[in-house]
Amino acid sequence: MGVIGKRVAYYPGCSLEGAARSYDVSTRIVAKELGLELDYLEDYNCCGAMESKNVTFMGTMLLNARNMSLARRQGHNVIVAPCNGCSFSLQRAEYFLETDRAVYDRVNALLREGGVDPLDQIPQTYHILEWFYHEAGPQKVKERTRKPLRGLKVANYYGCLYTRPHFYARTYAHAGGQDEEARPRKRETADDDEHPYYMNALLEAAGATSVEFEPMHTQCCGGPHSLSDELVSEKFVMMILQTAKRNGADIIATECPLCHASLEMYRHRLMMKGVPDVDVPAAYFTQLLGLAFGYSVGDVKLKDNLSDPIPVLKKLGLA
Amino acid sequence: MAIHERSLVEPERILRKERLVIDGVDVSGDWNLIILPRVINDYDLDFAKDVMNSPDGKTITQCYQCSYCTASCPVHNYWDERYNPRHFIYLARLGMIDELQKRADVMWRCVSCHKCTHRCPKGVLVEEVLKAILRAMAKKGLVEEYPSKKFDKFFTESVLEYGRIEDGELLFGWIEKQGYRVFKDPILKKPIPFIGETPEWLKQLTVKPLKSMNIGFLVLNAKHMLFHPRTKNWSKFKQVLRKVMQEEGALH
Ligand code: SF4
Ligand code: SF4
Repeated sequence: MGVIGKRVAYYPGCSLEGAARSYDVSTRIVAKELGLELDYLEDYNCCGAMESKNVTFMGTMLLNARNMSLARRQGHNVIVAPCNGCSFSLQRAEYFLETDRAVYDRVNALLREGGVDPLDQIPQTYHILEWFYHEAGPQKVKERTRKPLRGLKVANYYGCLYTRPHFYARTYAHAGGQDEEARPRKRETADDDEHPYYMNALLEAAGATSVEFEPMHTQCCGGPHSLSDELVSEKFVMMILQTAKRNGADIIATECPLCHASLEMYRHRLMMKGVPDVDVPAAYFTQLLGLAFGYSVGDVKLKDNLSDPIPVLKKLGLA
Repeated sequence: MAIHERSLVEPERILRKERLVIDGVDVSGDWNLIILPRVINDYDLDFAKDVMNSPDGKTITQCYQCSYCTASCPVHNYWDERYNPRHFIYLARLGMIDELQKRADVMWRCVSCHKCTHRCPKGVLVEEVLKAILRAMAKKGLVEEYPSKKFDKFFTESVLEYGRIEDGELLFGWIEKQGYRVFKDPILKKPIPFIGETPEWLKQLTVKPLKSMNIGFLVLNAKHMLFHPRTKNWSKFKQVLRKVMQEEGALH
């Protein structure tokens, strides 16, 4: 532990300041309780998410390089992002900047042209879950827990990009083929690529029980298509929700605003259609940790969740 | 006899005979299935070069066709078996553009989950390669406007304009683009989600915060819809972005 640093640049991304503000608010609460410090990245721009990269390669490199440059200006070597899409985009840019000299030079020239400081160094990006796990860890969570989540059965949903692909996230446990030297850089903080467990560990430390959720825990929610290909998204979300429900979950814990939105939107649609076993609500893992640390439903903004997890939590006496 | 990846062979080229005699030998039974051969002479070997020339597409040369990517792909497994990343890579490398074009209706369905890239034993950035193939096809005018491409463009334009995106505008702007009638207030021309032809399930969802009296949430989102969140020092950077996108043929 203590590999990443207690004070980091915080890249919230667009959705955390919009519809997913509950994630932002609860993240700040958890960080504060765990004795960690987030330095808000001033005047950041969108990372391009999963969409822009299909339209333009260089454009997405530039979008992310600009954010990296802002972090460098604020004196940081580490950026932490709470969204799978954002951390993927930043890590992807990191990968190409590091492994392709031509891309690096071009990006720096273009940054200068656009009135942004070129990159003297490429900052590292971590998902906020990795940061919580490595800088504070289950032990600290246990110490801080005042109202344990006793009796709460959680399906921990990581989504696809938290551990994938290994080139960007540098999770190599099971990935085949590449020998040690061919890997750009191994990361000691990375979660297990096929069986991620950081969220399980933190929530269990707060008193919750994890339910069996493989292989749906890293199955895609159809997020990038949630507005353009409703049928695929709906099917994927159905598989996720039914697996959770049938394994006895009270709630799905999420760590990505895109996954969260997709789950909530399509849960509603599926329920309207009368599909069975899809009524598990979703909450950000930080909201659950916040509750365990003694904060109220209002503090962690549980009312913002469209899938409404409050009744379930009330029934167990947790809210 | 089983045919592997049967979906790849056109039905009219598969012959099945009850009784089959070849050169006087009766080969009925297990050997009654024949795939008619075909000669291909319309291929374009320069196509693969287009893909290889972009930094995200160059790993296409490393593929040795093991099909691990296809085996792990959720779209192939749970949605449509015609969606087959290994096969798309194969066709692109052989320059069989017409065959790719025939599959354009499923190729865009990739959800970018990167399971393929993660599992590939040869270090191919599979998802990136597939997107590079689609980009190369779009450049040649070989693929039509499909939903996710339209959405990707719509999204990227919003980023280009403001530096940031706004959930509500994205959602309702997109719904409008799909041909639904979205009601806009007469002065600021911003969409009002509760009125208009929005799909029923979405309407219900947008009314939810109102029902639970979650005023804070509504006010925040209304504020964002009225004053689009934007990045401050953007205009000069926007010009550079526009320039590189033009170079890549992503803007016209
Ligand atoms: S897994 Fe890799 S090497 Fe195997 S077919 Fe797919 S891209 Fe090619
Ligand atoms: S990224 Fe696309 S091609 Fe790859 S496994 Fe996911 S859906 Fe399939």
